[in-house]
Amino acid sequence: MSTRLARILTTVFVLAVVLLPIYWLVSTSLKSNREITQEGTLYPHVPTLDNYVRLFTEKQFGSYLTNSVVVTFFSVAIALVFGAMGAYAIARFRLPFAAERKIGLFLLTLRIIPPVVILIPVYLLMLSLGLLDSWLGLIATYTAFNVTFCVWMMESFFREIPVDLEEAAMVDGDSRFGAFRRITLPLAAPGLAATAIFAVLVTFNEFLFALALTATPRAMTMPRGTATLIGRIDTDWASMAAAGVIGALPIVFFALLVQRHLVRGLTMGAVK
Amino acid sequence: MQTGTQARKYRLQGAGLDLALPYLMLAPGLMVVLGVLVYPLWDGLRASTRAYRYGSPVADVGFKNYVQLWSDAQFLNSLWVTVKFVALSVSIEAVLGFALALFCLHEFRGIRLLRTVLIIPMVITPVVVAILFRLIYASDAGMLTALSEAMGGGGVQILGNPLNAFIGLVVLDVWEWTPLMFLILLAGLQSLPHEPFEAARVDGAGPWRVFADLTFPMMRPVLAVAVVLRTIDAFGTFDQVFVLTRGGPGEATRLISIYGYDTAFKFQQTGYAAALFVTIGLVVLALAFSAIRLLRRVDAS
Repeated sequence: MSTRLARILTTVFVLAVVLLPIYWLVSTSLKSNREITQEGTLYPHVPTLDNYVRLFTEKQFGSYLTNSVVVTFFSVAIALVFGAMGAYAIARFRLPFAAERKIGLFLLTLRIIPPVVILIPVYLLMLSLGLLDSWLGLIATYTAFNVTFCVWMMESFFREIPVDLEEAAMVDGDSRFGAFRRITLPLAAPGLAATAIFAVLVTFNEFLFALALTATPRAMTMPRGTATLIGRIDTDWASMAAAGVIGALPIVFFALLVQRHLVRGLTMGAVK
Repeated sequence: MQTGTQARKYRLQGAGLDLALPYLMLAPGLMVVLGVLVYPLWDGLRASTRAYRYGSPVADVGFKNYVQLWSDAQFLNSLWVTVKFVALSVSIEAVLGFALALFCLHEFRGIRLLRTVLIIPMVITPVVVAILFRLIYASDAGMLTALSEAMGGGGVQILGNPLNAFIGLVVLDVWEWTPLMFLILLAGLQSLPHEPFEAARVDGAGPWRVFADLTFPMMRPVLAVAVVLRTIDAFGTFDQVFVLTRGGPGEATRLISIYGYDTAFKFQQTGYAAALFVTIGLVVLALAFSAIRLLRRVDAS
Protein backbone atom coordinates (compact mmCIF):
# COMPACT_ATOMS: atom_id res chain seq x y z
CA MET A 1 0.00 0.00 0.00
CA SER A 2 2.80 2.41 0.85
CA THR A 3 4.61 1.77 -2.48
CA ARG A 4 1.36 2.64 -4.24
CA LEU A 5 1.12 5.93 -2.39
CA ALA A 6 4.77 6.67 -3.20
CA ARG A 7 4.08 5.98 -6.88
CA ILE A 8 1.08 8.29 -6.96
CA LEU A 9 2.98 11.07 -5.17
CA THR A 10 6.01 10.77 -7.45
CA THR A 11 3.84 10.72 -10.57
CA VAL A 12 1.94 13.80 -9.47
CA PHE A 13 5.17 15.59 -8.57
CA VAL A 14 6.82 14.85 -11.94
CA LEU A 15 3.69 15.88 -13.84
CA ALA A 16 3.56 19.13 -11.89
CA VAL A 17 7.21 19.97 -12.53
CA VAL A 18 6.83 19.38 -16.27
CA LEU A 19 3.44 20.98 -16.74
CA LEU A 20 3.55 24.03 -14.42
CA PRO A 21 5.96 26.05 -16.62
CA ILE A 22 3.78 25.22 -19.63
CA TYR A 23 0.63 26.22 -17.75
CA TRP A 24 2.26 29.54 -16.87
CA LEU A 25 3.22 30.20 -20.51
CA VAL A 26 -0.30 29.54 -21.78
CA SER A 27 -1.89 31.46 -18.93
CA THR A 28 0.39 34.48 -19.48
CA SER A 29 -0.40 34.45 -23.20
CA LEU A 30 -4.10 34.93 -22.37
CA LYS A 31 -3.55 37.96 -20.11
CA SER A 32 -3.08 41.61 -20.98
CA ASN A 33 0.29 43.20 -20.22
CA ARG A 34 -1.41 45.30 -17.53
CA GLU A 35 -2.70 42.22 -15.77
CA ILE A 36 0.71 40.53 -16.02
CA THR A 37 2.87 43.26 -14.53
CA GLN A 38 0.50 45.18 -12.27
CA GLU A 39 -1.76 42.56 -10.79
CA GLY A 40 0.42 39.43 -10.91
CA THR A 41 -2.57 37.10 -11.10
CA LEU A 42 -2.11 33.33 -10.95
CA TYR A 43 -4.62 32.69 -13.74
CA PRO A 44 -6.07 35.04 -16.40
CA HIS A 45 -8.92 36.98 -14.76
CA VAL A 46 -9.85 38.68 -18.03
CA PRO A 47 -8.82 36.18 -20.72
CA THR A 48 -8.08 37.67 -24.14
CA LEU A 49 -6.86 36.40 -27.50
CA ASP A 50 -5.50 39.84 -28.49
CA ASN A 51 -1.90 38.72 -28.08
CA TYR A 52 -2.35 35.99 -30.67
CA VAL A 53 -4.15 38.25 -33.12
CA ARG A 54 -1.34 40.82 -32.82
CA LEU A 55 1.30 38.19 -33.71
CA PHE A 56 -0.32 37.58 -37.08
CA THR A 57 -1.51 41.11 -37.87
CA GLU A 58 1.48 43.14 -36.63
CA LYS A 59 4.37 40.71 -36.36
CA GLN A 60 4.37 38.51 -39.50
CA PHE A 61 4.04 35.20 -37.71
CA GLY A 62 2.27 33.89 -40.79
CA SER A 63 5.49 34.29 -42.82
CA TYR A 64 7.62 32.68 -40.11
CA LEU A 65 5.35 29.66 -40.06
CA THR A 66 5.37 29.35 -43.87
CA ASN A 67 9.17 29.67 -43.96
CA SER A 68 9.60 27.02 -41.27
CA VAL A 69 7.29 24.56 -43.00
CA VAL A 70 8.87 25.03 -46.44
CA VAL A 71 12.46 24.86 -45.19
CA THR A 72 11.80 21.85 -42.94
CA PHE A 73 9.87 19.95 -45.60
CA PHE A 74 12.45 20.31 -48.37
CA SER A 75 15.57 19.79 -46.29
CA VAL A 76 14.16 16.66 -44.65
CA ALA A 77 12.74 15.22 -47.90
CA ILE A 78 15.97 15.72 -49.87
CA ALA A 79 18.12 14.41 -47.01
CA LEU A 80 15.91 11.32 -46.69
CA VAL A 81 16.31 10.42 -50.37
CA PHE A 82 20.06 11.09 -50.48
CA GLY A 83 20.59 9.62 -47.02
CA ALA A 84 18.66 6.40 -47.68
CA MET A 85 20.64 5.76 -50.87
CA GLY A 86 23.95 6.46 -49.18
CA ALA A 87 23.07 4.33 -46.16
CA TYR A 88 22.06 1.44 -48.39
CA ALA A 89 25.37 1.62 -50.26
CA ILE A 90 27.29 1.62 -46.97
CA ALA A 91 25.26 -1.21 -45.50
CA ARG A 92 25.28 -3.53 -48.50
CA PHE A 93 28.35 -3.02 -50.70
CA ARG A 94 31.99 -3.84 -50.06
CA LEU A 95 34.11 -1.28 -51.89
CA PRO A 96 37.87 -1.31 -52.48
CA PHE A 97 39.95 -0.16 -49.47
CA ALA A 98 36.83 -0.57 -47.30
CA ALA A 99 35.84 2.87 -48.60
CA GLU A 100 32.22 2.48 -47.56
CA ARG A 101 33.18 1.97 -43.92
CA LYS A 102 35.53 4.93 -44.00
CA ILE A 103 32.82 7.14 -45.48
CA GLY A 104 30.41 6.00 -42.77
CA LEU A 105 32.91 6.78 -40.02
CA PHE A 106 33.69 10.14 -41.64
CA LEU A 107 30.01 11.12 -41.69
CA LEU A 108 29.67 10.07 -38.04
CA THR A 109 32.67 12.20 -37.10
CA LEU A 110 31.11 15.19 -38.89
CA ARG A 111 27.98 14.59 -36.85
CA ILE A 112 29.84 14.72 -33.52
CA ILE A 113 31.39 18.14 -34.24
CA PRO A 114 29.07 20.81 -32.79
CA PRO A 115 27.42 22.76 -35.64
CA VAL A 116 28.55 26.04 -34.10
CA VAL A 117 32.09 25.20 -35.29
CA ILE A 118 31.21 25.84 -38.95
CA LEU A 119 28.84 28.75 -38.30
CA ILE A 120 31.24 31.44 -39.54
CA PRO A 121 32.40 29.71 -42.75
CA VAL A 122 28.83 28.70 -43.66
CA TYR A 123 27.82 32.33 -43.16
CA LEU A 124 30.69 33.47 -45.40
CA LEU A 125 29.78 30.81 -47.99
CA MET A 126 26.14 31.90 -48.14
CA LEU A 127 27.25 35.53 -48.24
CA SER A 128 29.46 34.90 -51.27
CA LEU A 129 26.71 32.88 -53.01
CA GLY A 130 24.14 35.58 -52.31
CA LEU A 131 22.03 33.07 -50.37
CA LEU A 132 21.77 34.97 -47.08
CA ASP A 133 18.19 35.56 -45.98
CA SER A 134 16.77 33.04 -48.45
CA TRP A 135 14.97 29.70 -48.29
CA LEU A 136 17.64 28.08 -50.45
CA GLY A 137 20.49 28.97 -48.08
CA LEU A 138 18.69 27.45 -45.10
CA ILE A 139 17.54 24.39 -47.07
CA ALA A 140 21.10 23.66 -48.27
CA THR A 141 22.51 23.98 -44.75
CA TYR A 142 19.86 21.87 -43.05
CA THR A 143 19.95 19.23 -45.81
CA ALA A 144 23.67 18.71 -45.21
CA PHE A 145 23.17 18.29 -41.45
CA ASN A 146 20.25 15.94 -42.03
CA VAL A 147 22.14 13.79 -44.56
CA THR A 148 24.84 12.87 -42.02
CA PHE A 149 22.13 11.95 -39.54
CA CYS A 150 19.95 10.02 -42.03
CA VAL A 151 22.87 7.94 -43.33
CA TRP A 152 23.93 7.02 -39.82
CA MET A 153 20.44 6.05 -38.70
CA MET A 154 19.20 4.35 -41.89
CA GLU A 155 22.31 2.21 -42.19
CA SER A 156 21.42 0.18 -39.11
CA PHE A 157 17.84 -0.26 -40.35
CA PHE A 158 19.05 -1.61 -43.71
CA ARG A 159 21.44 -4.01 -42.00
CA GLU A 160 18.51 -5.63 -40.21
CA ILE A 161 16.79 -6.51 -43.50
CA PRO A 162 17.96 -9.89 -44.85
CA VAL A 163 19.75 -9.67 -48.19
CA ASP A 164 18.00 -12.88 -49.40
CA LEU A 165 14.84 -10.93 -50.20
CA GLU A 166 16.70 -8.70 -52.64
CA GLU A 167 18.38 -11.72 -54.18
CA ALA A 168 15.01 -13.34 -54.76
CA ALA A 169 13.79 -10.21 -56.54
CA MET A 170 16.92 -10.13 -58.68
CA VAL A 171 16.57 -13.77 -59.61
CA ASP A 172 13.13 -12.75 -60.83
CA GLY A 173 14.78 -10.22 -63.13
CA ASP A 174 14.91 -7.04 -61.05
CA SER A 175 17.99 -4.82 -61.22
CA ARG A 176 19.87 -4.15 -58.00
CA PHE A 177 18.48 -0.62 -57.76
CA GLY A 178 15.03 -1.97 -58.59
CA ALA A 179 15.33 -4.48 -55.75
CA PHE A 180 16.37 -1.66 -53.42
CA ARG A 181 13.43 0.49 -54.46
CA ARG A 182 10.73 -2.18 -54.57
CA ILE A 183 11.82 -4.59 -51.80
CA THR A 184 14.22 -3.05 -49.30
CA LEU A 185 12.89 0.48 -49.09
CA PRO A 186 9.28 -0.52 -48.24
CA LEU A 187 10.60 -2.97 -45.63
CA ALA A 188 12.63 -0.16 -44.08
CA ALA A 189 9.60 2.15 -43.97
CA PRO A 190 9.29 2.19 -40.15
CA GLY A 191 12.96 3.12 -39.93
CA LEU A 192 12.51 5.80 -42.58
CA ALA A 193 9.59 7.19 -40.60
CA ALA A 194 11.56 7.31 -37.34
CA THR A 195 14.44 9.02 -39.13
CA ALA A 196 12.17 11.55 -40.82
CA ILE A 197 10.39 12.38 -37.56
CA PHE A 198 13.62 13.03 -35.75
CA ALA A 199 14.97 15.14 -38.61
CA VAL A 200 11.76 17.20 -38.68
CA LEU A 201 12.04 17.91 -34.95
CA VAL A 202 15.66 19.00 -35.10
CA THR A 203 15.21 21.08 -38.26
CA PHE A 204 12.03 22.85 -37.19
CA ASN A 205 13.62 23.78 -33.85
CA GLU A 206 17.01 24.91 -35.22
CA PHE A 207 17.93 28.42 -34.14
CA LEU A 208 21.67 29.14 -34.40
CA PHE A 209 22.00 29.00 -38.19
CA ALA A 210 18.62 30.66 -38.70
CA LEU A 211 19.92 33.47 -36.50
CA ALA A 212 23.08 33.96 -38.54
CA LEU A 213 21.67 33.29 -42.02
CA THR A 214 18.36 35.17 -41.97
CA ALA A 215 17.50 38.75 -41.18
CA THR A 216 13.98 39.55 -42.44
CA PRO A 217 10.54 37.91 -42.44
CA ARG A 218 11.34 36.81 -46.00
CA ALA A 219 13.25 33.80 -44.67
CA MET A 220 13.09 33.92 -40.84
CA THR A 221 11.87 30.65 -39.32
CA MET A 222 9.63 30.30 -36.27
CA PRO A 223 12.37 30.08 -33.62
CA ARG A 224 14.22 32.97 -35.25
CA GLY A 225 11.09 35.10 -35.50
CA THR A 226 10.12 34.31 -31.92
CA ALA A 227 13.54 35.38 -30.68
CA THR A 228 13.29 38.75 -32.47
CA LEU A 229 10.37 39.61 -30.21
CA ILE A 230 12.69 39.48 -27.26
CA GLY A 231 14.71 42.58 -26.69
CA ARG A 232 17.23 42.90 -23.95
CA ILE A 233 14.95 44.82 -21.60
CA ASP A 234 11.70 43.54 -22.98
CA THR A 235 8.43 44.14 -21.22
CA ASP A 236 5.98 42.88 -23.83
CA TRP A 237 5.52 39.67 -21.87
CA ALA A 238 2.09 38.98 -23.35
CA SER A 239 3.34 38.86 -26.96
CA MET A 240 6.35 36.85 -25.90
CA ALA A 241 4.17 34.24 -24.21
CA ALA A 242 1.79 34.02 -27.17
CA ALA A 243 4.78 33.70 -29.51
CA GLY A 244 6.09 30.88 -27.32
CA VAL A 245 2.77 29.02 -27.57
CA ILE A 246 2.52 29.48 -31.35
CA GLY A 247 6.20 28.60 -31.77
CA ALA A 248 5.95 25.35 -29.81
CA LEU A 249 2.45 24.20 -30.71
CA PRO A 250 3.07 22.68 -34.17
CA ILE A 251 6.09 20.68 -33.09
CA VAL A 252 4.63 19.45 -29.79
CA PHE A 253 1.46 18.41 -31.57
CA PHE A 254 3.53 16.61 -34.19
CA ALA A 255 5.67 14.89 -31.55
CA LEU A 256 2.69 13.62 -29.57
CA LEU A 257 1.10 12.37 -32.78
CA VAL A 258 4.11 10.22 -33.69
CA GLN A 259 5.14 9.45 -30.13
CA ARG A 260 5.92 5.78 -30.53
CA HIS A 261 8.32 6.18 -33.47
CA LEU A 262 9.91 9.13 -31.75
CA VAL A 263 10.86 7.29 -28.57
CA ARG A 264 12.37 4.49 -30.63
CA GLY A 265 14.44 6.93 -32.65
CA LEU A 266 15.61 8.82 -29.57
CA THR A 267 16.75 5.75 -27.67
CA MET A 268 17.86 3.54 -30.53
CA GLY A 269 21.40 4.83 -30.82
CA ALA A 270 22.20 4.42 -27.15
CA VAL A 271 20.84 0.97 -26.36
CA LYS A 272 22.63 -1.39 -28.68
CA MET B 1 28.19 -20.13 -44.09
CA GLN B 2 30.16 -16.88 -43.78
CA THR B 3 31.97 -17.39 -47.08
CA GLY B 4 28.69 -18.44 -48.68
CA THR B 5 27.06 -15.06 -48.00
CA GLN B 6 30.25 -13.26 -49.01
CA ALA B 7 30.35 -15.08 -52.34
CA ARG B 8 26.71 -14.33 -52.95
CA LYS B 9 27.30 -10.64 -52.25
CA TYR B 10 30.14 -10.49 -54.75
CA ARG B 11 28.02 -12.23 -57.34
CA LEU B 12 25.30 -9.64 -56.75
CA GLN B 13 27.62 -6.79 -57.60
CA GLY B 14 28.95 -8.50 -60.69
CA ALA B 15 26.49 -7.54 -63.36
CA GLY B 16 27.11 -4.51 -65.60
CA LEU B 17 25.81 -1.20 -64.33
CA ASP B 18 25.58 -2.63 -60.82
CA LEU B 19 29.34 -2.13 -60.47
CA ALA B 20 28.88 1.64 -60.50
CA LEU B 21 25.74 1.54 -58.38
CA PRO B 22 27.32 2.02 -54.93
CA TYR B 23 29.12 5.14 -56.12
CA LEU B 24 26.01 6.51 -57.81
CA MET B 25 24.05 5.97 -54.60
CA LEU B 26 26.67 7.60 -52.39
CA ALA B 27 27.35 10.58 -54.66
CA PRO B 28 24.37 12.92 -54.09
CA GLY B 29 24.59 12.83 -50.28
CA LEU B 30 28.36 13.14 -50.28
CA MET B 31 28.21 16.10 -52.65
CA VAL B 32 25.90 18.05 -50.35
CA VAL B 33 28.03 17.17 -47.33
CA LEU B 34 31.27 18.12 -49.09
CA GLY B 35 29.84 21.46 -50.26
CA VAL B 36 28.04 22.60 -47.13
CA LEU B 37 29.97 20.90 -44.30
CA VAL B 38 33.46 19.86 -45.38
CA TYR B 39 34.34 22.91 -47.45
CA PRO B 40 33.24 25.28 -44.63
CA LEU B 41 35.25 23.21 -42.13
CA TRP B 42 38.36 23.65 -44.25
CA ASP B 43 37.52 27.30 -44.85
CA GLY B 44 37.11 27.76 -41.09
CA LEU B 45 40.55 26.26 -40.49
CA ARG B 46 41.98 28.69 -43.05
CA ALA B 47 40.11 31.65 -41.54
CA SER B 48 41.44 30.78 -38.08
CA THR B 49 45.01 31.60 -39.22
CA ARG B 50 44.11 35.02 -40.57
CA ALA B 51 43.31 38.48 -39.31
CA TYR B 52 40.15 40.11 -40.64
CA ARG B 53 39.00 43.68 -40.98
CA TYR B 54 35.36 44.46 -41.88
CA GLY B 55 34.78 40.83 -42.83
CA SER B 56 37.62 40.41 -45.31
CA PRO B 57 41.04 38.85 -44.61
CA VAL B 58 43.92 41.34 -44.36
CA ALA B 59 46.87 39.27 -43.11
CA ASP B 60 48.10 35.75 -42.41
CA VAL B 61 48.92 35.44 -38.73
CA GLY B 62 49.70 31.72 -38.44
CA PHE B 63 48.81 30.32 -35.01
CA LYS B 64 48.65 33.71 -33.32
CA ASN B 65 44.85 33.51 -32.88
CA TYR B 66 45.18 30.15 -31.14
CA VAL B 67 47.95 31.35 -28.84
CA GLN B 68 46.02 34.50 -27.98
CA LEU B 69 43.00 32.44 -26.83
CA TRP B 70 44.89 31.12 -23.82
CA SER B 71 45.69 34.56 -22.48
CA ASP B 72 42.17 35.89 -23.12
CA ALA B 73 40.51 36.15 -19.71
CA GLN B 74 37.04 36.26 -21.27
CA PHE B 75 37.66 33.06 -23.24
CA LEU B 76 39.04 31.26 -20.19
CA ASN B 77 36.07 32.40 -18.15
CA SER B 78 33.58 31.20 -20.78
CA LEU B 79 35.37 27.85 -20.91
CA TRP B 80 35.14 27.54 -17.12
CA VAL B 81 31.44 28.51 -17.13
CA THR B 82 30.78 25.92 -19.85
CA VAL B 83 32.59 23.14 -17.98
CA LYS B 84 30.72 23.98 -14.76
CA PHE B 85 27.40 24.10 -16.61
CA VAL B 86 27.94 20.80 -18.46
CA ALA B 87 29.26 18.89 -15.43
CA LEU B 88 26.51 20.08 -13.13
CA SER B 89 23.59 19.69 -15.57
CA VAL B 90 24.57 16.30 -16.96
CA SER B 91 25.26 14.72 -13.58
CA ILE B 92 21.96 15.94 -12.12
CA GLU B 93 20.15 14.70 -15.23
CA ALA B 94 21.84 11.28 -15.00
CA VAL B 95 20.91 10.80 -11.33
CA LEU B 96 17.31 12.02 -11.73
CA GLY B 97 16.83 10.14 -15.00
CA PHE B 98 18.15 6.90 -13.51
CA ALA B 99 16.00 7.22 -10.40
CA LEU B 100 12.91 7.92 -12.48
CA ALA B 101 13.65 5.03 -14.86
CA LEU B 102 14.02 2.58 -11.93
CA PHE B 103 10.77 3.93 -10.55
CA CYS B 104 8.94 3.39 -13.85
CA LEU B 105 10.35 -0.07 -14.54
CA HIS B 106 7.31 -1.80 -13.07
CA GLU B 107 4.15 -1.11 -15.02
CA PHE B 108 1.49 0.77 -13.13
CA ARG B 109 -1.48 2.95 -13.93
CA GLY B 110 -0.52 6.42 -15.02
CA ILE B 111 2.84 5.41 -16.45
CA ARG B 112 1.73 5.99 -20.04
CA LEU B 113 0.53 9.47 -19.19
CA LEU B 114 3.86 10.10 -17.47
CA ARG B 115 5.85 8.97 -20.48
CA THR B 116 3.75 11.04 -22.88
CA VAL B 117 4.10 14.17 -20.77
CA LEU B 118 7.86 13.64 -20.39
CA ILE B 119 8.28 13.86 -24.16
CA ILE B 120 7.13 17.49 -24.17
CA PRO B 121 10.18 19.23 -22.63
CA MET B 122 12.67 17.76 -25.08
CA VAL B 123 10.65 18.38 -28.23
CA ILE B 124 9.66 21.98 -27.45
CA THR B 125 11.75 24.43 -29.47
CA PRO B 126 14.76 25.38 -27.27
CA VAL B 127 14.03 29.06 -27.89
CA VAL B 128 10.56 28.55 -26.42
CA VAL B 129 12.00 26.64 -23.46
CA ALA B 130 14.04 29.76 -22.73
CA ILE B 131 10.87 31.90 -22.98
CA LEU B 132 9.15 29.51 -20.55
CA PHE B 133 11.89 30.07 -18.01
CA ARG B 134 12.09 33.81 -18.56
CA LEU B 135 8.42 33.92 -17.70
CA ILE B 136 9.12 31.93 -14.54
CA TYR B 137 12.16 33.92 -13.42
CA ALA B 138 11.15 37.48 -14.43
CA SER B 139 11.17 39.75 -11.40
CA ASP B 140 8.00 41.62 -12.44
CA ALA B 141 5.93 39.09 -14.40
CA GLY B 142 7.43 35.79 -13.28
CA MET B 143 5.70 32.79 -11.79
CA LEU B 144 8.10 32.74 -8.83
CA THR B 145 7.35 36.37 -8.02
CA ALA B 146 3.60 35.82 -8.45
CA LEU B 147 3.69 32.78 -6.15
CA SER B 148 5.82 34.57 -3.60
CA GLU B 149 3.47 37.57 -3.60
CA ALA B 150 0.42 35.31 -3.32
CA MET B 151 1.99 33.90 -0.17
CA GLY B 152 2.76 37.35 1.16
CA GLY B 153 6.45 37.56 0.17
CA GLY B 154 8.25 40.04 -2.05
CA GLY B 155 9.65 39.91 -5.60
CA VAL B 156 12.19 37.24 -6.53
CA GLN B 157 15.49 38.11 -8.26
CA ILE B 158 16.86 35.35 -10.48
CA LEU B 159 18.28 36.67 -13.73
CA GLY B 160 19.74 39.83 -12.17
CA ASN B 161 22.01 37.94 -9.80
CA PRO B 162 25.07 36.09 -11.20
CA LEU B 163 24.82 32.94 -9.06
CA ASN B 164 21.04 32.68 -9.31
CA ALA B 165 21.15 33.18 -13.08
CA PHE B 166 23.66 30.35 -13.44
CA ILE B 167 21.59 28.04 -11.25
CA GLY B 168 18.52 29.11 -13.20
CA LEU B 169 20.22 28.03 -16.43
CA VAL B 170 21.14 24.64 -14.95
CA VAL B 171 17.54 24.17 -13.80
CA LEU B 172 16.35 24.93 -17.34
CA ASP B 173 18.70 22.33 -18.80
CA VAL B 174 17.67 19.74 -16.21
CA TRP B 175 14.00 20.39 -16.96
CA GLU B 176 14.58 20.08 -20.69
CA TRP B 177 16.88 17.05 -20.85
CA THR B 178 16.21 14.77 -17.85
CA PRO B 179 13.39 13.15 -19.90
CA LEU B 180 15.87 12.06 -22.60
CA MET B 181 18.14 10.53 -19.96
CA PHE B 182 15.07 8.82 -18.50
CA LEU B 183 13.93 7.35 -21.83
CA ILE B 184 17.38 6.02 -22.75
CA LEU B 185 17.94 4.50 -19.30
CA LEU B 186 14.44 3.01 -19.19
CA ALA B 187 15.02 1.34 -22.57
CA GLY B 188 18.32 0.05 -21.18
CA LEU B 189 16.72 -1.32 -18.01
CA GLN B 190 14.00 -3.04 -20.01
CA SER B 191 16.59 -4.80 -22.16
CA LEU B 192 18.45 -6.36 -19.19
CA PRO B 193 18.17 -10.17 -18.84
CA HIS B 194 15.76 -11.44 -16.15
CA GLU B 195 17.68 -14.47 -14.85
CA PRO B 196 20.25 -12.74 -12.57
CA PHE B 197 17.44 -10.81 -10.87
CA GLU B 198 15.39 -13.97 -10.33
CA ALA B 199 18.44 -15.67 -8.83
CA ALA B 200 19.09 -12.71 -6.54
CA ARG B 201 15.49 -12.79 -5.35
CA VAL B 202 15.71 -16.53 -4.61
CA ASP B 203 18.88 -15.81 -2.60
CA GLY B 204 16.97 -13.17 -0.65
CA ALA B 205 19.07 -10.13 -1.68
CA GLY B 206 17.64 -6.76 -0.62
CA PRO B 207 16.82 -4.02 -3.12
CA TRP B 208 20.00 -2.04 -2.39
CA ARG B 209 22.22 -5.13 -2.94
CA VAL B 210 20.41 -5.89 -6.20
CA PHE B 211 21.01 -2.34 -7.38
CA ALA B 212 24.68 -2.15 -6.36
CA ASP B 213 25.70 -5.66 -7.49
CA LEU B 214 23.44 -6.23 -10.51
CA THR B 215 21.53 -3.28 -11.92
CA PHE B 216 24.24 -0.65 -11.77
CA PRO B 217 27.12 -2.74 -13.18
CA MET B 218 24.91 -4.07 -15.98
CA MET B 219 23.64 -0.59 -16.81
CA ARG B 220 27.08 1.02 -16.88
CA PRO B 221 27.56 0.89 -20.68
CA VAL B 222 24.12 2.41 -21.40
CA LEU B 223 24.62 5.02 -18.70
CA ALA B 224 28.01 5.90 -20.17
CA VAL B 225 26.60 6.31 -23.68
CA ALA B 226 23.76 8.50 -22.40
CA VAL B 227 26.16 10.69 -20.42
CA VAL B 228 28.55 11.05 -23.37
CA LEU B 229 25.71 11.95 -25.76
CA ARG B 230 24.36 14.58 -23.37
CA THR B 231 27.82 15.97 -22.61
CA ILE B 232 28.65 16.51 -26.29
CA ASP B 233 25.26 18.10 -26.81
CA ALA B 234 25.44 20.31 -23.72
CA PHE B 235 28.85 21.62 -24.80
CA GLY B 236 27.22 23.28 -27.80
CA THR B 237 24.30 24.81 -25.86
CA PHE B 238 23.47 28.17 -27.39
CA ASP B 239 19.77 28.90 -28.06
CA GLN B 240 18.57 28.72 -24.47
CA VAL B 241 21.26 31.05 -23.12
CA PHE B 242 20.92 33.46 -26.02
CA VAL B 243 17.24 34.01 -25.19
CA LEU B 244 17.33 33.57 -21.39
CA THR B 245 20.28 35.74 -20.34
CA ARG B 246 22.36 36.54 -23.44
CA GLY B 247 25.32 35.44 -21.26
CA GLY B 248 24.68 37.84 -18.40
CA PRO B 249 24.56 39.25 -15.87
CA GLY B 250 28.17 40.19 -16.55
CA GLU B 251 29.74 36.97 -17.76
CA ALA B 252 27.97 34.66 -15.30
CA THR B 253 26.20 32.53 -17.92
CA ARG B 254 28.36 33.32 -20.95
CA LEU B 255 28.96 29.86 -22.38
CA ILE B 256 31.74 29.39 -24.91
CA SER B 257 29.27 29.25 -27.82
CA ILE B 258 27.82 32.63 -26.85
CA TYR B 259 31.28 34.18 -26.50
CA GLY B 260 32.24 32.79 -29.93
CA TYR B 261 29.07 34.12 -31.51
CA ASP B 262 29.62 37.58 -30.04
CA THR B 263 33.27 37.59 -31.11
CA ALA B 264 32.25 36.79 -34.67
CA PHE B 265 29.09 38.78 -35.20
CA LYS B 266 29.17 41.56 -32.59
CA PHE B 267 32.89 42.33 -32.39
CA GLN B 268 33.53 41.23 -36.02
CA GLN B 269 36.77 39.43 -35.11
CA THR B 270 36.22 36.73 -37.72
CA GLY B 271 39.64 35.06 -37.60
CA TYR B 272 39.82 35.00 -33.84
CA ALA B 273 36.29 33.57 -33.58
CA ALA B 274 37.14 30.90 -36.17
CA ALA B 275 40.15 29.84 -34.06
CA LEU B 276 37.88 29.68 -31.01
CA PHE B 277 35.36 27.47 -32.81
CA VAL B 278 38.06 25.15 -34.17
CA THR B 279 39.32 24.77 -30.60
CA ILE B 280 35.81 23.85 -29.37
CA GLY B 281 35.49 21.32 -32.19
CA LEU B 282 38.80 19.70 -31.28
CA VAL B 283 37.89 19.55 -27.59
CA VAL B 284 34.54 17.88 -28.33
CA LEU B 285 36.09 15.40 -30.79
CA ALA B 286 38.82 14.48 -28.30
CA LEU B 287 36.13 14.01 -25.66
CA ALA B 288 34.03 11.82 -27.95
CA PHE B 289 36.88 9.62 -29.10
CA SER B 290 38.30 9.06 -25.63
CA ALA B 291 34.79 8.17 -24.49
CA ILE B 292 34.41 5.66 -27.33
CA ARG B 293 37.79 4.12 -26.49
CA LEU B 294 36.85 3.91 -22.82
CA LEU B 295 33.56 2.22 -23.70
CA ARG B 296 35.31 -0.34 -25.90
CA ARG B 297 37.61 -1.22 -23.02
CA VAL B 298 34.66 -1.63 -20.66
CA ASP B 299 32.95 -3.85 -23.24
CA ALA B 300 36.04 -6.00 -23.71
CA SER B 301 36.65 -6.67 -20.02
